[in-house]
Amino acid sequence: MLPDIHCPTIKLGKRSIVVFPYWIGLLILGLLFGLVGAFIVLRDGLHVTGLSNAIPWGLWISIDLSAIAMGGSAFVFGVIVYILRIKRFEAIGKLAVLLGFLGYSTAGMVLLFDLGRPLRFWHPVVYWQPHSLLWEVTMCVVLYLSVLMAELLPIVLEHPLFKTHPWLTRYKALGSLMERAHSFAHSLHKAGPVLAVAGLTLSLLHQASLGATYSVLAGRGIWFNQSAPVQFVFSAMSGGIALLFITSVFVFRVMRPGTVSDSAIYDVARLTGKITLLLTYLRVWDWAVTNYYSFDREVFLQTQILDTIAPYSLTFWLGQALLPVIAGSVLLAAKSIKNFRYLMLAAVIPILAAIITRWNYNFAGLIASISYDPFTPGIILNSYTPTWVEFSVGTLVICYWLLAFSLAARYLPFSSGHDHH
Amino acid sequence: MADSTNKDVEKNVSRRDLLKVGAAILGATGLTQLFSLNSLQVRGKEIPDEGGRKWGMLIDINKCIGCNYCTYACQAVNNLADDMLYNVVTAEETQSGEEYFLSRPCMQCAEAPCVHVCPVEATYYRPDGIVEMNYDRCIGCRYCQVACPYGAGKSPDFGVAEVENRPRGVVEKCHFCSHRIDRGLEYGLTPGVDREATPACVVVCPTGARVFGDLNDVESPVSKAREEAIVTLRLREELSTEPRVYYIPPTTKKTGPFAGEGES
Repeated sequence: MLPDIHCPTIKLGKRSIVVFPYWIGLLILGLLFGLVGAFIVLRDGLHVTGLSNAIPWGLWISIDLSAIAMGGSAFVFGVIVYILRIKRFEAIGKLAVLLGFLGYSTAGMVLLFDLGRPLRFWHPVVYWQPHSLLWEVTMCVVLYLSVLMAELLPIVLEHPLFKTHPWLTRYKALGSLMERAHSFAHSLHKAGPVLAVAGLTLSLLHQASLGATYSVLAGRGIWFNQSAPVQFVFSAMSGGIALLFITSVFVFRVMRPGTVSDSAIYDVARLTGKITLLLTYLRVWDWAVTNYYSFDREVFLQTQILDTIAPYSLTFWLGQALLPVIAGSVLLAAKSIKNFRYLMLAAVIPILAAIITRWNYNFAGLIASISYDPFTPGIILNSYTPTWVEFSVGTLVICYWLLAFSLAARYLPFSSGHDHH
Repeated sequence: MADSTNKDVEKNVSRRDLLKVGAAILGATGLTQLFSLNSLQVRGKEIPDEGGRKWGMLIDINKCIGCNYCTYACQAVNNLADDMLYNVVTAEETQSGEEYFLSRPCMQCAEAPCVHVCPVEATYYRPDGIVEMNYDRCIGCRYCQVACPYGAGKSPDFGVAEVENRPRGVVEKCHFCSHRIDRGLEYGLTPGVDREATPACVVVCPTGARVFGDLNDVESPVSKAREEAIVTLRLREELSTEPRVYYIPPTTKKTGPFAGEGES
């Protein structure tokens, strides 16, 4: 049984308009615009981008890192639903799996365009170099995407389309195929705890490795930071669960009222509040360790030069310290605030903080890079402006995310409780 | 009687359990051996060479006049487009403000960050120490480029899409003209001594600022030059990348960081 799904409407005078078809149309326009850029970069190569030898990782890598962070709720709720077996989060857990899948597939998609040789994307799976963090990240993303697909398939197959469509009885082959798919999905669902453990391991491993990808590079000053892996894990959890909270309000409270209790949604907000506060605590200590209790000439000069061209330190103090403390406290008090508008507004901040962390991390070491001059080493200031092709491909993957999410929010049954067990 | 059989059963079970646990531990140990840290290390370490050769270069900054011939010769022999530079010559300053020219090929590090980070082993150590690239395996992720502490040490072909010397999109870099070394050795020549077997930038240098040869051979030109030099340095040594390119810093009486020493 599908629960009643209410689509958001806008009132124009006396008419009330269902936004959904216009929204989908807009996203399809975005996809088309993105496909133009995608075609151009695949045809002409990376020289159509604003990347250079000085800044070889740009907008796409930032989108890639952020997309993976936005999937950070999947492994947390995999554990909550499949291992701790807390029933009231079951429907939210399904949404988390969807967000995880979307985040990781978006990241994989944008990486495909970012590679100099896109058709060799499979090389890391065949040519192993376990010493490389990027190899580990690639393998984890590939395996974790498989885990997420295994977790997502039973949820998608719950849709009545795959159970009661007249074609299933009219065409025998289709019917038996669906039966097999359902029994496969059932065994996948039974393997839930195993998948959750695998997902937790893979996800933790590579969220951390993404930070380590940067932090092992001794020659880049700001990047060479021992706490980067921990920060990446916690900021993915804080930003990912904040996104899960916002989408839960939308999918369950607005569109499927009654499927999930308000208190369960408040609990999601409180969880992200706790993690956000913990993350901010770690971030501020990390700042103190690198800038106050120790002195590194390169980090000092890099920070100084970055402050002259951009509000680099301000994005830390405001975006990653002050606002997250306020937002984290507000989210933590969700049960006494009981106002979804304010809570959603607060939940935007951990998401932005996670994106700012990754954006700053990627660009800090590249924009202000250290020279190899032996006598008077200094900081070289590089500049990078993304071209329209890069924005176009960025639009493509973001529209893909939004489109897939909108369709899932509209059509997927997120009802908790399974008929088949 | 019944008690004793029960005990036997218990004993058997416990023994079986013990065997099971043992087997599990053995299995787990076996698994860890598949991915042991040692095996990870081996890939990062150099493969020992039977011949024991380790190619290296020494650049005398005092002799360099900044003519850029090394860059052009490199572009000519390596079939590079105009805006692709394996070798870079820059004007730098000493602490006392004296200008000098710093020419920078790939450092051919013994602990090369680019080799450590490559996800597909496309960048690797040759037995003779040269850090070379497999252009057919490179996926163009540019992690090596980001990891290299010597700036533009490696350059993917941004801007030269029409010239497919190497597959478009891969990262490429200086390889000490390994093709010249290999072919020279086949003909019985000595790299560093015979022009045909020596990197093009060394051969072309009009002032003889660059010296090349086997670092493990005390008779090679590079070893002799290192012996004669008062002081040599390597770039960004604090990072422990162990480069095989050595520099003689500006030490002439008129210019350089030691100018004025011994006077007064």
